[in-house]
Amino acid sequence: MMLTNKKLKALTMACTVVAGLAATATANAHPRWVLPSHFTVSKEGGDWLTFDVTASHGTFVFDKPAGSESAQVVMPDGRKERPNFVIRGKRRSIFDFYFEEEGTHKVQINNVPSYYTQYKAGRRDTVKWAPANKAERDTLLPEKSRDVVTQLSFTRAESYITVGKPTDKALEMDGKYLELLPITHPSDIVEGEEVSFQFYFNGEPQQGVTAEITREGTLYRNQQEQIDVISDSEGKVTFTPDVAGRYLMKANYKGELKNNPLADTASVNVHFTFEAMLK
Amino acid sequence: MSSVFPQRIKKSQLVAALALVFPLVLHAAPIPENAKIEVEFELPKIDTAMYARPYVAVWIEDANRKSVRTVELWVGKDEWLKDLRSWWRKVGRYDRELVDAVTSATRPAGEYRFVWDGLDDQGNRVEQGDYTFYAEVVREHGGRNYLRQKLQLSDTAFVHKIAPTEETGDVSISYKVR
Repeated sequence: MMLTNKKLKALTMACTVVAGLAATATANAHPRWVLPSHFTVSKEGGDWLTFDVTASHGTFVFDKPAGSESAQVVMPDGRKERPNFVIRGKRRSIFDFYFEEEGTHKVQINNVPSYYTQYKAGRRDTVKWAPANKAERDTLLPEKSRDVVTQLSFTRAESYITVGKPTDKALEMDGKYLELLPITHPSDIVEGEEVSFQFYFNGEPQQGVTAEITREGTLYRNQQEQIDVISDSEGKVTFTPDVAGRYLMKANYKGELKNNPLADTASVNVHFTFEAMLK
Repeated sequence: MSSVFPQRIKKSQLVAALALVFPLVLHAAPIPENAKIEVEFELPKIDTAMYARPYVAVWIEDANRKSVRTVELWVGKDEWLKDLRSWWRKVGRYDRELVDAVTSATRPAGEYRFVWDGLDDQGNRVEQGDYTFYAEVVREHGGRNYLRQKLQLSDTAFVHKIAPTEETGDVSISYKVR
């Protein structure tokens, strides 16, 4: 009787820990995003725009001071520039950039891939984690570790700014991790009109990417009113923003990595900020 | 002579093909020589602590929702052109020269009258057919109104009246053919 009880307790604990870890890896990580002061510049000769970068659970609510040091502006001709000013506060970082070249710019704050190895060791079936990639894990993990899986995590935080006439060069992809190709140009998103995006994983259209799209102002309404989409066999999603406003799309894909020397699986994100304009 | 003949066949074939596919082409004739649209346009007096003259864009789109002519653009500084959300997205951002050519200063509350001469932005008389009149009025510290009125431009005169909104007073659109 005692034994059974102990066993049961151990099992319950293990389950709790596993569930807890799973939550850490997904829901608990604060999504990182960027919020531009404006998405459009009409001033001849250009204009300054400012960007807030933070990580939080609320849509456009500042919480953790995610850095802007790696921020890049992809210019209309495809070359990359760094922001002119970067400041890090306690609950957000900001950067400013002077937009003067005509066309569409992509603003991106991408981190570097991080690797976590999940394993079991010893007599208990507790799932443990180590900050190690496939190359490092053999030296870090106990001998006879089992159920060893290394996961790559990577998040893009991005948005688009258009000066005058929209262009497409800055929309081009790197062919790495999860990427969003706006079929509907980001400067053409209008309330009540269908929007179409396409997801790519390592340069190929990817089915099964899940994304939730949330309009700003979640603090001031009872329901999130989010739009949930999953990409089809061509990697495409379509949705209609019914109300004008600023939206955050949080897209995630979890998949196997083949022949990757550093990881077995990937959990990759695109956090894309856009505006749906008034008709 | 022999070189003209095949060309004529080609043209008639083309017209026949177009007429089959696109019945609108059947009455594709320019609007009458003297046809024009007179617009009476009122900016209402608004009693508020921070009144700024509104930004105004008035333009005409064809049946394919393509802008054919920006008739009025009252903005002043080009920094604020983007606040005319629809006009900027549909027209302004594509053509800086057009913006420079049509832009003028903002105006105070009052009654205005202006004319669309029936020419497109390139100076050509437009074809008869279905068009839409648009007016977008945006005021800082104030609201935005977006007026739409379908127009059927042929050889028949008409008058349309648009009811007042928050940012616009009486608006009337008179199509005159002589």
